[in-house]
Amino acid sequence: MSDRLTGLLIAALAIWYGWTANNFEEGFGDPVGPSAFPKLLAVPMGLFALYLVIRPDADPDWPRGNPLIRQGVMLAALVVYPLILEPLGFPLATALAIFIMAVLLRGTRRAAGVAAVAISLGLFVTFDQILGLHLPMLPSLQ
Amino acid sequence: MEILSFLAHGLTVALTPTNLGLAVFGCVAGTIVGALPGLGPVNGVAILIPLAFTLGLDPASALILLACVYYGTMYGGRISSIMLNIPGDEPAMMTCLDGYPMARKGKAAEALAISAVASFVGATLSTIGLTLFAPLLVKVAIHFGPAEYFALYVLAFATIGGVTGANPAKTLMAAAFGLALGTVGLDPVSGTARYTFGIFHLFDGFHPIVAIVGLFAISEILVYLEHAHGTHPGAVAVHRAYARLSDLAKAGGAMVRGSLIGFVSGVLPGAGASLGSFLAYAMEKRVSDKQGSFGHGDPRGVAAPEAGNNAAAGGALIPMLSLGVPGSGTTAVLLALLISLNITPGPLLFQKQPDVVWGLIASLYIANVVLLLLNVPLVGLFTRLLTLPMWLLLPTVVMVSFVGVYSINHSTFDLLVMVGFGVLGYLLRKLDIPLVPIVLGLLLGAEMENNYRRALSISGGDASILFDSTIAVSLYAATAALLAIAVVSAIRRHRRR
Repeated sequence: MSDRLTGLLIAALAIWYGWTANNFEEGFGDPVGPSAFPKLLAVPMGLFALYLVIRPDADPDWPRGNPLIRQGVMLAALVVYPLILEPLGFPLATALAIFIMAVLLRGTRRAAGVAAVAISLGLFVTFDQILGLHLPMLPSLQ
Repeated sequence: MEILSFLAHGLTVALTPTNLGLAVFGCVAGTIVGALPGLGPVNGVAILIPLAFTLGLDPASALILLACVYYGTMYGGRISSIMLNIPGDEPAMMTCLDGYPMARKGKAAEALAISAVASFVGATLSTIGLTLFAPLLVKVAIHFGPAEYFALYVLAFATIGGVTGANPAKTLMAAAFGLALGTVGLDPVSGTARYTFGIFHLFDGFHPIVAIVGLFAISEILVYLEHAHGTHPGAVAVHRAYARLSDLAKAGGAMVRGSLIGFVSGVLPGAGASLGSFLAYAMEKRVSDKQGSFGHGDPRGVAAPEAGNNAAAGGALIPMLSLGVPGSGTTAVLLALLISLNITPGPLLFQKQPDVVWGLIASLYIANVVLLLLNVPLVGLFTRLLTLPMWLLLPTVVMVSFVGVYSINHSTFDLLVMVGFGVLGYLLRKLDIPLVPIVLGLLLGAEMENNYRRALSISGGDASILFDSTIAVSLYAATAALLAIAVVSAIRRHRRR
């Protein structure tokens, strides 16, 4: 079932991908143009995807219950981190992210807290101070 | 003789204090990454690429650093195979079979020493092979025109799954999908924006390193959460690896045989180190297992796969450097580095930038010596790392990936793209769709399209030019033959089930 769904999705993507290519403007004096290669790719992509629909493999074990929740929280942390990185500054945002990840990976809260502070400061010093890569600092100190 | 003078020139590049220091650092970092379960060579090299940018290294130094990391991971992978029965990375899987039983019999030190020496033999022999054969392949490749290159890319993509690939249809679909991802952005010839949805950040396309770190490193943490089990079982304390010379001599034949098999499977497209160690073990078992001692802690069963995977690592550099077509995931990441540094691998690289090529090759010889020293007397340090809990390790890896990717453009959009690729990577891994063809497609798509368009503009749009030369036709014939083998072996596997 999973393979069938994937196959259908990718087949639809291939059709859209090849179809969109028709709208690309041809360059002047360019016999091939920007649409030829995408159209060429759309064919095998669609055909192999359809093959998956017809001959799917057995379903993988999808996570459910507790692991699924953990993955969801982890994903949320991963998405939120880039959004708060510049507003909160690197040390604070990073410490928060590490704390959440460490707890999700079954670290104790106290150890995770200590590790979060230590690692985020360590990374900041290494990359910003020593390697000269400018990371966003605390907003008030900028 | 010509080669020796090139190599001497390479040594002058590799032996500058900066490059030597980078090589040693790369060896240590690589061994650590290889030893830690869950962090394979692809991850290790991908995470450290942004570091090379941050340090502002010149191309030769950056390549030396990462190639040493690459060789280091191949040495390091065996440590947790032997100590914990958990392969540090995929190619070290076969080393578990006899390495862990040896450790349980109290022979961990011997297993570590024999496998370190086997790694050294394999890596050194294949570096010699690289030195000899890469220039030969360059001499052939110099005659390649756009049509031949297009045929070569078709060969590379059609065979990327090799004979081991799970489902050929999935591999080929992944390759087409990766190539399609590679077309996102402004078309370099006409300036047309393709598949960008008007998003300004996508005009340059997906940065390959952002995609690679997402696909491999970020997906890893999602995979791990599925069966999170806290810390590893405690490893046996070992401070030094040692073995009697007579033991080493007994495994000598296995090392040489393993090296040869590994080297060949490294050079072939789409085979790589995992196949190298698998074939080396299988072959050694057939040749030497007279008493049925393989699988119960036979030193030769440790030596053969270790020599095999290290030899394959060197062999895989040959097509990457001389043709610009990588044969494995890790060499694809090294190619991403070269492309990011505006260097086009291929025959011209040997002529125009001998410093980069020969400096790299020379530093690989040095890396092998450094790695042997690190992995025999100092192996205790690395075994102690295995006791690091995952809740500490994985968040650090993720944060280093974030910092590294952020350093490329100082763009938080890139970080979101990376997380997106991480989710994609997780889903694809669950579905058994290989990631390497996607990475290769993303990396090589531009060059493949470029050659396709150049060939057709030479002929004025006549597609028959693609099949016009003997080289191109033989490449297509090879593609068809290898595809047929892959399909037949997939059908056989299917029937056996």
